[in-house]
Amino acid sequence: MLTAALRKELLLQWRSRAQFMAVFVFGAAALLLFSFAVGPVAELLRQFSAGFLWLGLLLSSTLTLAESFHAEMENRSMEGLLLLPANPRALYYGKAVANWLQLTLLGIALIPVMVVLYDAGTTHVLMLILVIALGTAGLSAPGTLYAAMTAQVRSKQTLLPLLLFPLIVPALLASVKATSLIILGDPMNQVRSWIVLLASFDAIYWSLCGLLFGYVVED
Amino acid sequence: MNVDNNRFPRLPWIILGLGIVFLAIGSYIGLFVAPPEALMGQVQRIMYVHVPTAWNALLAMTFAFICAVVFLFKPDWKWDARMEAAIEVGVVLAFLLCCQGAIWAKPTWGVWWDWDPRLTTTAVLLFAFLGILALRKFVDDPARRAIWSAVATIIAYVDVPIVYYSVRWWNSLHQMQSSPETVSRQFWLPLRMNAFGILFLMTAFIMLRARVASMRLTHELAPPPALGETA
Amino acid sequence: MSGMIPGGWSFVVAAYSVTAIVLAIYGASVIARLRNEIARRNDD
Repeated sequence: MLTAALRKELLLQWRSRAQFMAVFVFGAAALLLFSFAVGPVAELLRQFSAGFLWLGLLLSSTLTLAESFHAEMENRSMEGLLLLPANPRALYYGKAVANWLQLTLLGIALIPVMVVLYDAGTTHVLMLILVIALGTAGLSAPGTLYAAMTAQVRSKQTLLPLLLFPLIVPALLASVKATSLIILGDPMNQVRSWIVLLASFDAIYWSLCGLLFGYVVED
Repeated sequence: MNVDNNRFPRLPWIILGLGIVFLAIGSYIGLFVAPPEALMGQVQRIMYVHVPTAWNALLAMTFAFICAVVFLFKPDWKWDARMEAAIEVGVVLAFLLCCQGAIWAKPTWGVWWDWDPRLTTTAVLLFAFLGILALRKFVDDPARRAIWSAVATIIAYVDVPIVYYSVRWWNSLHQMQSSPETVSRQFWLPLRMNAFGILFLMTAFIMLRARVASMRLTHELAPPPALGETA
Repeated sequence: MSGMIPGGWSFVVAAYSVTAIVLAIYGASVIARLRNEIARRNDD
């Protein structure tokens, strides 16, 4: 059941890969704009590069997440899906995983942008990708739940970030700190603790949101 | 909901009155009777309202969480009404807490905001619950509104300890000192009185506000009969 | 932290006033809304 849902989601996303390109351009543009806020001071840009990356990812995620229920809303296929003898949980996890994959890809795609704009390179690329994966997982779990809610509501574009942003503060803090340590150096090996915090946040919210999703889509 | 809704309810008024009395006496003691503290001077007196507000803000949010959980298990409209009231009162208290915190921080640390983990968590909580109030405003169907805001409340409340610990750790790396919130034993009287004062006020507010919510719900769920026209 | 903080009274007054004002305004708004609902109920 879950694999079927996941396969459907990935197929949908592959079909709308133009939309992914658009979100990537949005994210890259955001990173560019952040550098204008600071000014062409190489030192400062490098110091804040982690923060900029994650803010860019966060803003882009609202676009991705809002889009993810677009197909269901367009054709009213949500009701159809729920009529099937399928667990709403499978629907949720399928969407959440698909969103997570897309956000991780986005994060990885933004790494070279970050390296170029902020001179924020690092040799620990795998570690960076791990942090991006864990951080975007933290965005995707509650984000998918709230996207399902707000897709059916007016003023959806404002409500999704309004609900999501306060909630993911711990994931944002941990991701930024971990990324920052990877880029700027980690003499006291604190990265591990931040990664543990991130993983705990993910574990809690992936289970809690899955549990509660049934209530969100029931009639 | 078999209470006579046409008269003003009596019990909340009594509690409200009690609250005002306790708060007045507690504040008087805190302002004029208790001696100034050794290190902080007069500014310490702010704690006599700040700490009680903090306890009650958390209490309101916790009550909102309980209402949310109960509602999901046993869908009764009165729990939704109580939850709405608790969220709103919690938002007011959280906002108040941030104001008091800033007024405390300026003379103490020289800045309006010192990133104290408790206060920063309150600010995040304030935004989270404001978002839930906004969600309620934008959902027209009462059943959906109730279920969704209950889910959102549970998710937001579970986040509170996580936010607190992550901010605390984020802070400690920059060696910020958290605001000293311990009060010496001899000063507990104004603290306790104000705590009860705000507790009674909060309870009365939640009762009255829940009443407003129930009445609105009743109106929503049973529209007045059509004037001779079919729907 | 050493010594007394001078001029603390203005902040203390500010904190207590803000508290009183916010609670009073919110209380008044709840009571006003309740009055509205009761009036509407009586009209029906």
